[in-house]
Amino acid sequence: MVQIFRPGADTVARVVLASIAAAPILSVGLAYAVWRSPYATQQEVTREQPVPFSHEHHVGGLGIDCRYCHTSVEQAAFPGIPPTETCMSCHSQIWTNAPMLAPVRTSLAEGRPLEWRKVHTLPHYVYFNHSVHVAKGVGCTTCHGEVQTMKLIRQVAPLTMGWCLDCHRDPAPNLRPREAVFDTNWTPPPDQKTIGAQLVKAYHIKSPERLSECSICHR
Amino acid sequence: MPPLSAPSRREALGLLSAGIASGLGACAKPSEELVPYVVQPELLLPGVPARYATALSLGGWARGVHAIAVDGRPIKIEGNPLHPASLGATDVFAEAAILDLYDPDRARTVTERVSGIASWDMVERALAAPLAQTRREKGKGFRLLTGHVTSPTLLRQIAALLQAMPEAIWHVHEPLDDAAALRGAELAFGRPLRPLPDPGRAEMILCVGADPLGPGPDQIRFGRAFIDRRRDPARFGRLYVAETALTQTGIKADARCALHPADAAGLLAALANALGAALPAPDLPPEAARFAAAAAADLRGAEGRALVLVGDALPPELHALGHWINGRLKAPVTYTAPLDLAGDRAPADLATLAADLDSGAVSCLAILGCNPVQTAPADLAFAERIGRAGFSVHAGLHGDETAGATHWHLPLAHALESWSDLRARDGTASLVQPLVRPLYGGRSDHEILSLLAGEPATAGYDLVRATWHDQGGGDFEGWWRKALHDGVIPDSAAKPVEPGAARLPSLPKPPDPGFAVELRADPCLYDGRYANNAWLQECPKPVSKQVWGNALAVSHAEAARRGLEAGDVVVLGLGGRQIEALVAVESGVADGAGALTLGYGRPRAGAIGNGIGADGYRLATVAAPRLLPGVSLDRTGRQGEVLRTQNYTQIEGETKKLFRQIVLADLPQAKPKGIGADRPTLLDPWTGDADGHAWAMVIDTQACIGCNACVVACQSENNVPIVGPEEIARGRMMHWLRVDLYDSGTPEAVNAGFQPVPCMHCEHAPCEPVCPVAASVHDGEGLNLQVYNRCVGTRFCEANCPYKVRRFNFFGYADGQPYATMGAESIKAQHNPNVTVRARGVMEKCTYCIQRIANERQASERDGRPMGAVATACQSACPTRAITFGDLAQPDDPIRALRQDPRHYALMEELNTRPRTTYLADLHAPNPDLGGRT
Repeated sequence: MVQIFRPGADTVARVVLASIAAAPILSVGLAYAVWRSPYATQQEVTREQPVPFSHEHHVGGLGIDCRYCHTSVEQAAFPGIPPTETCMSCHSQIWTNAPMLAPVRTSLAEGRPLEWRKVHTLPHYVYFNHSVHVAKGVGCTTCHGEVQTMKLIRQVAPLTMGWCLDCHRDPAPNLRPREAVFDTNWTPPPDQKTIGAQLVKAYHIKSPERLSECSICHR
Repeated sequence: MPPLSAPSRREALGLLSAGIASGLGACAKPSEELVPYVVQPELLLPGVPARYATALSLGGWARGVHAIAVDGRPIKIEGNPLHPASLGATDVFAEAAILDLYDPDRARTVTERVSGIASWDMVERALAAPLAQTRREKGKGFRLLTGHVTSPTLLRQIAALLQAMPEAIWHVHEPLDDAAALRGAELAFGRPLRPLPDPGRAEMILCVGADPLGPGPDQIRFGRAFIDRRRDPARFGRLYVAETALTQTGIKADARCALHPADAAGLLAALANALGAALPAPDLPPEAARFAAAAAADLRGAEGRALVLVGDALPPELHALGHWINGRLKAPVTYTAPLDLAGDRAPADLATLAADLDSGAVSCLAILGCNPVQTAPADLAFAERIGRAGFSVHAGLHGDETAGATHWHLPLAHALESWSDLRARDGTASLVQPLVRPLYGGRSDHEILSLLAGEPATAGYDLVRATWHDQGGGDFEGWWRKALHDGVIPDSAAKPVEPGAARLPSLPKPPDPGFAVELRADPCLYDGRYANNAWLQECPKPVSKQVWGNALAVSHAEAARRGLEAGDVVVLGLGGRQIEALVAVESGVADGAGALTLGYGRPRAGAIGNGIGADGYRLATVAAPRLLPGVSLDRTGRQGEVLRTQNYTQIEGETKKLFRQIVLADLPQAKPKGIGADRPTLLDPWTGDADGHAWAMVIDTQACIGCNACVVACQSENNVPIVGPEEIARGRMMHWLRVDLYDSGTPEAVNAGFQPVPCMHCEHAPCEPVCPVAASVHDGEGLNLQVYNRCVGTRFCEANCPYKVRRFNFFGYADGQPYATMGAESIKAQHNPNVTVRARGVMEKCTYCIQRIANERQASERDGRPMGAVATACQSACPTRAITFGDLAQPDDPIRALRQDPRHYALMEELNTRPRTTYLADLHAPNPDLGGRT
């Protein structure tokens, strides 16, 4: 009688059985990895903008304060996107004929707003408030990265809920003295651990339990 | 289309993979745009709500409001605390005005009857010739028809128009006006005077057919003064109400009499006789006679603090008798001369216009902001008569019934889109300012009137400023800015007039004693002008809890006598005209009479309001506009459905437990009831929050007048969707806050009260342990949260909630599957950006306005100060301040004292849910002579 199974058939069968068991776990793992990957969170993606505005030049080079353009960052949930008028307060004097700035001049002339593509997007059911974070000593670069080195702005942090909660559960490592909040070159001092703990007290930052409750960000 | 056939294996696989691929593609984040200003307005913070003081009109009268806009988009109406007709509160109509602004059915363009869509230029050209002709003839044949006008600017414009065209005539038609009261004052005092009663000083009040706590421009002021006085047990007084069918005022009454409208004259005559008039002794039913005697005794004993109010539906002679009685009682009523005159010219009425149309005397008819074809008494046959005008033009918010009968229709700008001014009932003037440019290219009535007057096109802004240009004593700009900011014009209230002694009128002959029908203002649609407002259509009527329609209310005895059942379709006939209406059998209706609210059955209201319910105007006549005598009532044998959000159930003893009622005399013995926190429990005690807040709400059921302002305010604030009549019929609704009606009395003697029910935010919330995905959780401030993104829609929480305050999105009511036009782009602009719009399959409920708490918390954190007071949307809307919201963790918060009030109790505290929302019991002072509350 001819053998139906060859000697290796046992191994093949074992591998097949094992992979049937492993496949769902691996696929969940893969999905989770993709979900968290910079590809899915759209980190490090530069988008085409109507005007190639360079934070590297304006912040890093010229040293313009964040609040010169993002005027409501200390007062409101939304930090504010500068109106065309703000751009033209300088560019009516310098680079008045730069072709790159033509859309800005047209915008002012025609009264038609510039349409920027949004880079940092949170889901609509998240109610993030810039003013509170700034008041509590969370610096701009903590979330937005080293904007002073970016030719075109891009998202550095994953902006996932897990990433938010990392800080809400332990804010101390990310807290700065108030005067350093808008300092793009700030680096944590060696004793950040003790300073951070002091700042948590000084700013009356709520307990990690309270800060990780749903109602803090969702309504 | 080819016949459908089963796909082949290849096709099926192809479709499957295409589906997966498109699904994966949909996972990518959508690209969003950021659009900044070109020139940013000063002081404007993006995304931060800004408040503007303005005023909204109801029947021409102003209620001052704050309109709230986010990024230039109006989203909410709140009361203006400085305004005498708002006092910081709102009513349903003011709250719902924001939805009217965004109504996709609003008139969008000028239309001409034959050629259809036209433009403003075309109407100006078309008007030029007939207007020039009329001007040459000094206005002969020119007629202006408006609703009730109090706007000083509009009155100034009308006066100027009448001066330029002396032969022109101005007519006013307001379906629910106080014309009978004005004529009554004329009979009593020899001149028309407007009474303004002060329930804050009147302790003994008798209402005969009057519903001052019901819908109307004076509801907020009256309700506030009435309830504020009643907070002091020493000045609680007694409210007597005699009425055809149960109203909000009737429910708050200490003694109530279901009175056939034909007996109203007898009741007032009996009272007058008790005060010394020598009128022929009336023939009253024994119960009404007992009621009249008891009321007369109480009123007589409270001279200077007693008041009689006569309903607007009753004839002028009875109003005159009311004025005489009030004079005898030295009642706290101030009289003012009417301010709604154009110069010295009083307007003519609609019947005169109808007669002139018949005689062919009208060559040019302009109808401004009113809808006479729908609301005129049926015997005027106004739709046909308009056709006899040589040239007719109508301006309105909607292309309504009147728009369909005139040659031209012009879109009117909404009150939130135009400059104007208005007066309140006490004469106080307010400026009306726009929050947005007209969405649909409408113009304000000032601009349209200036067009009719043949003046060069002037902006409404300049017309309004011209009216007030002499104010401010040299600093007009400063005066203007302050008047705009405050929302009231200082010292503009009417000066009280000394009316002199009232004459005793001769009483009219009693009307036909047959079946009488009282036509009433609808508590949701008013006179029908809000028929296309879905919030108001789905707002349960205070007494009947009916939504999406009206029904003829008859008593149990009357229904039994005629063999009627609730839901029967009957034909009501009067003078050869007939309408079909549903029957609702209700408690507290007088035998031999019925009540029907106006505003329904409109053929051209819009996608929301078309053809719903019965149109009472079709039975009204000039002689009997509101009280129809001798109506025939015939069964059709057909059945319909009266849609209600609270169905009638009776469980022995439950009402007394769920709705605590205390008699005033027993108040000193009353003890506060706790929330059951002393009961044993297996759950961990709630320990509170380290940050030190514990939110709670106390609702005073004694103060609640059931007006529904809170319900619509909640809807507006929290993006609560509309479900539509089909879903209501399945027992589904979405209101986060409902007002329940409890009645522990009998059909003949009601003993009822209102109980607003939001989420109880139980400390031991039954909804939480049953949720398999922890979508229902507590936060550290004591709020019971619903996490929409976790919710998978098991509805276990809803089943386990003893208060039934959880609402499930069976469909995408707000998102994807809206009712009728409620998904239109314009409606989305109303949504509050600070509240999530819930999707299909998600549970939702009252959040205690968590967005308002969060805003205040974030503002205090940002500014480094302790948290200030937070007002929920329902609380800030409430005319009588029945709702108090506060922080139990703050030692000086008023909510702590309310929790110790002797009337305090919790709903179903025996379930050990430890609710954060608790109640104060209803309070009444029945007359012992009448044997308890009747």
